[in-house]
Amino acid sequence: MIRLENVTKIYNSEVTALRDATFDVAKGEFVFLVGPSGSGKSTLLRMMNRQESPEKGAVWVAGRNINEMPDSKVPHLRRNIGNIFQDYKLLLNKTVHENVAFALEVIGRPKHVIRQQVPAVLDLVGLTGKQDRFPHQLSGGEQQRVSIARAFVNRPLILLADEPTGNLDPATGEGIMRLLDRINKTGTTVVMATHDQRIVNMMRKRVIQMDRGIIVRDQARGVYE
Amino acid sequence: MWSRLAYTFRETGASLKRNITLTVAAVLTSAVSLFLVGGTFLVQRGFDNLLSKWAGGVQMIVYVSPTATPDQVANIKTALESSPTVVDTSKLEYLDFTKSLAEAKRLLAADPTTFKLLNEANLPTEFKVVPKARQLNVLVELANGFSEVPKVQKVVLARDQVEQISKLRDFVQTVTVGLSVLLLIGALILIWTTIRTAMFARRREIEVMKLVGATNWFIRIPFMLEGLIQGLIGALMSCGFLLFFNRLWTNGVVKLKGDNGFIALVVSDSFLNFVMLMVLLFGMLAGAVASGVAASRFLDV
Repeated sequence: MIRLENVTKIYNSEVTALRDATFDVAKGEFVFLVGPSGSGKSTLLRMMNRQESPEKGAVWVAGRNINEMPDSKVPHLRRNIGNIFQDYKLLLNKTVHENVAFALEVIGRPKHVIRQQVPAVLDLVGLTGKQDRFPHQLSGGEQQRVSIARAFVNRPLILLADEPTGNLDPATGEGIMRLLDRINKTGTTVVMATHDQRIVNMMRKRVIQMDRGIIVRDQARGVYE
Repeated sequence: MWSRLAYTFRETGASLKRNITLTVAAVLTSAVSLFLVGGTFLVQRGFDNLLSKWAGGVQMIVYVSPTATPDQVANIKTALESSPTVVDTSKLEYLDFTKSLAEAKRLLAADPTTFKLLNEANLPTEFKVVPKARQLNVLVELANGFSEVPKVQKVVLARDQVEQISKLRDFVQTVTVGLSVLLLIGALILIWTTIRTAMFARRREIEVMKLVGATNWFIRIPFMLEGLIQGLIGALMSCGFLLFFNRLWTNGVVKLKGDNGFIALVVSDSFLNFVMLMVLLFGMLAGAVASGVAASRFLDV
């Protein structure tokens, strides 16, 4: 589903964020990217939806080299990739329902599809009954659920999560992980950057460990260390 | 399709409201600058009307009394042609009653009452005389002589009117064109800033839109529509100014007493409508393009 070949990323021609990164992620896999801050986890995620382009190497998503893709095709690539962030990135002036519907609206989905899919995905993330609340009326965990609903409402092939539990207490974080696991079991590939040791050890999924831009470990059913 | 349209209009409306002070500034500046642009065209047209009698290098007009017989007209023509060193006979033109009436219609656009009073018995016909190069001084002497020829009503020389009017026109043109260009730049910069501010206010939204796969055009169009609306409102206001000042001007000129020819400074309604249409189209286009460029410039979030 995702393939990185010798990817090197250098910022401002001096800071090397990634050096020669190579790995494959199979369809339906769940992968943790771990490592300290600044080790290149977020840069790797940003490579996968072409928010960044590598100086060297190639990134393949669903069989296409996305660095050679014309700019006009990038929106279509991104419709197949959901994004989840540590700070949720919700639109504060929109309700839960509007935040999720927004993702469908801006890619031109018809109204009847929106009316059908939004309640279904809100049900999946456990937010039925809260569709008319605004983000400030929700807890952190609930806000992250809205963000997951928004990322998943278009049924993407891949979900990229950047520290999704970073702002949450352990119990709430576990709830989010159970939700991501459930989404993963529907066949969606999940790549998640985190330095939450407890969660990685609890899930026992594949772990790719980064250190100063280099992949130092790639282990199936791994732990944080 | 329908949901996209609804989205575009909703976002445009919200953004216009959110940026109300900048929007008002942009609209007012475009209104004033477009008014000056339109005004330049009108003033120009007025001067052109005034000078049109003299177009093509005509330096002397011999007005022939309407009571002149064809023989008498022919005599005047022969007299003019008898000075081939001074008069460029190839360009000598005679405006008979029909042609003179057509000219009067253009010059009296603002004064249809006077125009209606014109008929074959009171409208002089005219010879338009183009001198040979560097023969202007001799032409003046010639003019004095022609006043004595039978049935010549009067002889008018260009240099009395034309030179001063031309100078005035050039001056007015320089000032109005200069001012309108400056103000247009100001208006475009304000529209640009409005869009940039609008995009900054919505940067999180734009970031989310890009991440969920909205196309750049989808993001850009509400901003372009916003610029187009600003340009349109500014242009509508400028059309109001143009109508108002043109009416004021027309009334002022019509009230001037005497046969001073300034009545020709008034432009016809059809030309005014044409200028207003151009101002509207230009205002909308400039607003949309400036916003589109600004939006593309700041879309890379």
